[in-house]
Amino acid sequence: MSIPVSWYLVVSAIIFTIGIAGVLIRRNPLIIFMSIELMLNAVNLSFVAFSHYLDSVDGQMFVFLVLTVAAAEVVVGLAIIVSIFRTRRNIDVDDMNILRG
Amino acid sequence: MTNLTVWILALPLLGFVILSLAGRAMARPAVLTVALGTTGIAFLFAFLSFLSVHGTPPSSPAAGDQVIYTWVNSGAVGAGPNANPLIISFGLLLDPLSAVMLMVVTGVGFLIHIYSAGYMHEESDGEFSRFFSYMNFFIFAMVLLVSADNFLFLLVGWGLVGLASFLLIGFWYQRRSATAAALKALVINIIGDFGLMIAIFLIFKTYGTLNFYNDSNGTIGVLNQAAPGLTTTAICLLLFIACAAKSAQLPLYMWLPDAMEGPTPVSALIHAATMVTAGVYLVARAHAFFEVSPTALLIVAVLGGLTAIFAASIAVFQLDIKRVLAYSTISQLGYMFMSEGAHDYSGGMFHLITHAYFKALLFLAAGAVIHALGGEQDMRKMGGLRHRLKITFWTFLIAALAISGIPPLSGFWSKDEILGSLLAHASATPGKTGDIFYLLWAIGLITAGLTAFYMFRLVMGIFFGRYRGSGPAQHSEEVEGTEIEEHIQGHGGFYRIYEAPAVMTIPLIILAIFSVIGGWIGSFALFGARNWHPLETFLSPVFTNPAWSATPVASPAVSLSAQWLSTGLSVGLGVLGILGAVALYRKGFEYKESKNDFYQLVFHKYYIDELLTAILINPLLWFGRAASQLLEGDVLDGGSRGVAWVFGRTSAGLRRLQTGYMRNYALAILFGVILIVIYFAVRG
Repeated sequence: MSIPVSWYLVVSAIIFTIGIAGVLIRRNPLIIFMSIELMLNAVNLSFVAFSHYLDSVDGQMFVFLVLTVAAAEVVVGLAIIVSIFRTRRNIDVDDMNILRG
Repeated sequence: MTNLTVWILALPLLGFVILSLAGRAMARPAVLTVALGTTGIAFLFAFLSFLSVHGTPPSSPAAGDQVIYTWVNSGAVGAGPNANPLIISFGLLLDPLSAVMLMVVTGVGFLIHIYSAGYMHEESDGEFSRFFSYMNFFIFAMVLLVSADNFLFLLVGWGLVGLASFLLIGFWYQRRSATAAALKALVINIIGDFGLMIAIFLIFKTYGTLNFYNDSNGTIGVLNQAAPGLTTTAICLLLFIACAAKSAQLPLYMWLPDAMEGPTPVSALIHAATMVTAGVYLVARAHAFFEVSPTALLIVAVLGGLTAIFAASIAVFQLDIKRVLAYSTISQLGYMFMSEGAHDYSGGMFHLITHAYFKALLFLAAGAVIHALGGEQDMRKMGGLRHRLKITFWTFLIAALAISGIPPLSGFWSKDEILGSLLAHASATPGKTGDIFYLLWAIGLITAGLTAFYMFRLVMGIFFGRYRGSGPAQHSEEVEGTEIEEHIQGHGGFYRIYEAPAVMTIPLIILAIFSVIGGWIGSFALFGARNWHPLETFLSPVFTNPAWSATPVASPAVSLSAQWLSTGLSVGLGVLGILGAVALYRKGFEYKESKNDFYQLVFHKYYIDELLTAILINPLLWFGRAASQLLEGDVLDGGSRGVAWVFGRTSAGLRRLQTGYMRNYALAILFGVILIVIYFAVRG
């Protein structure tokens, strides 16, 4: 027996929504990053589910791509956060509003 | 025939270029070397050119024409049988008429350059070189004007002398009155330039060429094919608008008296001897047109006559010595136009030459007086100067006698030739036109009397009586050991007045000599020598040879008795004018303001300036101010400010979207994505 693809998609949607809520609500950039990772991995999950369902490896290739990009993004993002912390001693994203109109 | 005209043109231009590029860095002797050297050599070349024309009179204009380059050579312009190619070449014409003008321009110009070296001595180095660079520029422009062989380059010269005049009137640009006068001269001259330009358009439209005569390249000319007709009259009148503006004739004379704001050598050179005679030259040059249009010629004569008496009457009451001379210049130019109006072009040119001598002399002598008094121009503050300024006095007296028409000085010959021609033309012309010329003759006689009167009012006012001023302001440091009792008012100043240096008096003496003998190139028929009329003979090819003129000028023959009558009357009136002035002012000039209405009218120059201010300048100023407020302020500024306001308010609203909170942006992205998803979902 196999789990129907819709279950995977529901889980993926739930995780994605948790990610969005995290990005929108939390003020700690590290948590925001983790939320972004959640969103990316929710998408990965749906990719893999579809790949299995459609019996095609294309979706798995996209997952590798997303993983690579996510890793690179985290590297850059953490570097920026460290650099901001060094100058401001504070990394609350709501205080980073000097571009306000 | 060697043609040196291009060098006469190039040398002053070279001087101008050197002085305007490097003049500020040059020492005064170097500036003078460049300025005087170039004009002096130009004069020498003009003299050589004159001799060559005099030695072998050219058989046709093409013989003296030199085409330097062809500027425009188009294909046929227009359609049909009138389609002509437009060929404009830069050519220089050396014929008797331009040779005479070149002599006057470079000769008087050179003398005045010498004089200026003394007169402008007190200016700073930079101003000194600026003055001479402008003067050289003027000589260049004037030479271009008189030696151009087509209407287009005549217009170029015509415009450039106007520019030189503007620059030199406004030479002392720190003085508000000087810049205003310069502007006035420029504006009125541009009215004339405009007339000349329209005339040139009409000439090209009608004749398909702008050359004066058939030139050495084979381009056909316009003057030797002038045909009568309405167009020709229109051309003549437009040309005369240009002449009236340049030569300060009614109704465009207003700029010349104000032009006296310039340095005195400028007044002598530009506003008495050369530039203002350009109109007389143009009428003589384009006489082929005027000959076939009797209406235009009559208008020239009548306006000349009216100007002559009008300006002379104003001169009688003026107090500023330079303004008296300015109005006198306008009046004498009126004589020249009267003469040309009576078909006596060589008579007009003759008076142009003699006038250049004695009027330049009068201005330069007046300049010497002004120089000695440290800038004083008001006759009320002069008097008795004949004891202190001996050379100035004698030369001024000679010039005054010459302009008053006292024999055998130059003015006598030229003025009487003009009056004789007017009388002869009047008696040869039947009907109303003849009557008009009798009237013009009478006006000429009365003006001769007025001229003598105001000139000797000037002589008496400046040189006779008691000194009424307080001495020159600039030379006021006391000479040690001289204690002068000041029991006579102004007497102390009187002894500090000195004659001008030799560099200024020598040109005066040379011009005085020419003022005496300059008239002997005219006709001696009055005294039996029927074959002695060198100037008329010299100029005759231009006026009678068909190569120059389609219809040769037939000067009316003057009967000897009529000539004697005219001469007798004019000399009589001249002497009467002199005696009147001497009798009236024998105890020295005394200014008495009269409340008489007529006196007030003439004293205020017929209120022409006030009238113009009221009817032309004030409405224009009002219009300008209204336009600047309404159009510029409310419409243009208001419009652009309105646009800026709209964008400003919109941006102020929109900037609120930029909260700076990252989550807001993320939310916006989320909504965007949702909208896109919905769109694709709905579209299916």
